[in-house]
Amino acid sequence: MRRVVTLFLAAFAVIPIMASAYTNPGTPRGFVNDFAGILQPQEKLQLEQKIALFASSTSNEIAVVTIPNLGNDTIENFAVKLFEDWKIGKAKKDNGVLLLIARDDHKVRIEVGYGLEGALTDLQSDSIITNDITPNFRAEQYYRGIDAAVSDIMAATQGEYTASSNDSRAVNVLFEYWYLIPFAFMFLASILGRSKSWWAGGVVGGVAGVIIGLIYGFFYFGIVVTAVLIPVGLLFDFVVSRSYNRYVNGIGGMPWWMRGGRGGPGGFGGGGFGGFGGGRSGGGGASGDW
Amino acid sequence: MGVVNCMHTNLMKNKLVWIVGAIVVVLVLFVWSSYNGFVVKNEAVDGQWAQVETQYQRRMDLIPNLVSSVQGGMKQETAVFSAIADARTKYGSAKTVDEKAAAATGVESAFSRLLVVMENYPQLKSIETVHNLMVQLEGTENRVSVERQRFNDTVKDYNMSAKRFPGNIIASMFGFKDRTYFEAAQGAEVAPKVNF
Repeated sequence: MRRVVTLFLAAFAVIPIMASAYTNPGTPRGFVNDFAGILQPQEKLQLEQKIALFASSTSNEIAVVTIPNLGNDTIENFAVKLFEDWKIGKAKKDNGVLLLIARDDHKVRIEVGYGLEGALTDLQSDSIITNDITPNFRAEQYYRGIDAAVSDIMAATQGEYTASSNDSRAVNVLFEYWYLIPFAFMFLASILGRSKSWWAGGVVGGVAGVIIGLIYGFFYFGIVVTAVLIPVGLLFDFVVSRSYNRYVNGIGGMPWWMRGGRGGPGGFGGGGFGGFGGGRSGGGGASGDW
Repeated sequence: MGVVNCMHTNLMKNKLVWIVGAIVVVLVLFVWSSYNGFVVKNEAVDGQWAQVETQYQRRMDLIPNLVSSVQGGMKQETAVFSAIADARTKYGSAKTVDEKAAAATGVESAFSRLLVVMENYPQLKSIETVHNLMVQLEGTENRVSVERQRFNDTVKDYNMSAKRFPGNIIASMFGFKDRTYFEAAQGAEVAPKVNF
């Protein structure tokens, strides 16, 4: 019996070892993430500003990441996984570039997003590493090497894309029409509020849940959404009906949903790093060492 | 008394109809959404395979360039070159996904033998065209391994939902069969590493 238990435990213990050695180094705090601590604060700031300025004019996102070590992984695999986790570059444009530096392993990789593979080829990435990174890093001039590499990456990828107002963060189809949501909300509110019934909101919620479930094709997901939306719809109906009745009976003021549209959502905060935009990569780029 | 009884059974019947109706509606919705889920996941597998094939094609286009630029410097290694030529012909005539995967593995092993043999010809490394082709091939090999890994991930996602209850019932009803994983041949799991 004991042996069986031991075997059982052993089987589970093996799983984490078999999994890839990649571990996420953390959430991105900016375009420059110096987890290995090879840059001075001043140098980091300069790089950050340089890349942020480039990102705002071209929408291309360059991530500079230094890590202490790879933990037995290959730099190619680490770079692809990190790119997947952070989603560098804008969604659909896939215009991100990752410059990954593993301090103790003396390995470096430029991983290029799908959308920039034509502008920054493997050959160009290779020559950036051999000309900018390797000689400077051998002389322990880390900032100079990174700065030169970033400049060359910018020169190669400039003009490939232009910044546009509809560059969105990682979003799905539902949120592409987010601006319609307040209108739908008001439309529903005015109908449900006027209606005598108290259950219509629940029905609307249930139908919306079923539709969402069918669109996304997950049965359980649909059931959960439906179960949540029915009470939400009921509550919504209750609230708007009451405020409408109050208004009709002259108790309260005109409910907000009858006053017509108010201004749109406030502008997005300018400046500052707001996270990467949902880009993908497929193993393009080059690796090197120093 | 009789009238009351009759009304009672009528009510019962009504209730039963409602319950059965509700169950039928839930079942239909389940089959519908589950079927759509399979279609979507199956398409994802096909789409990802297309990504893999794009990279295979890129490799097939690069290899002859490399072969022609190194052949002059290593004339006596005819076995290696004919193995590559054979493997490429096989890939060209492969039709199904499984055939193509197998043929691509053949190309891989023939090609990695060339890389090993090339180590004996250090003078080739200094030729710029050779170096450039090697960089491009290295990039392509890395892309192949990334897309293949993603292919296996989408196959896993599809197979999991086709095997788990209750999805397996729908899968067998509509003939959604298991998809095969891409399995690298022995020794070909790791993309050939080139140090130039």
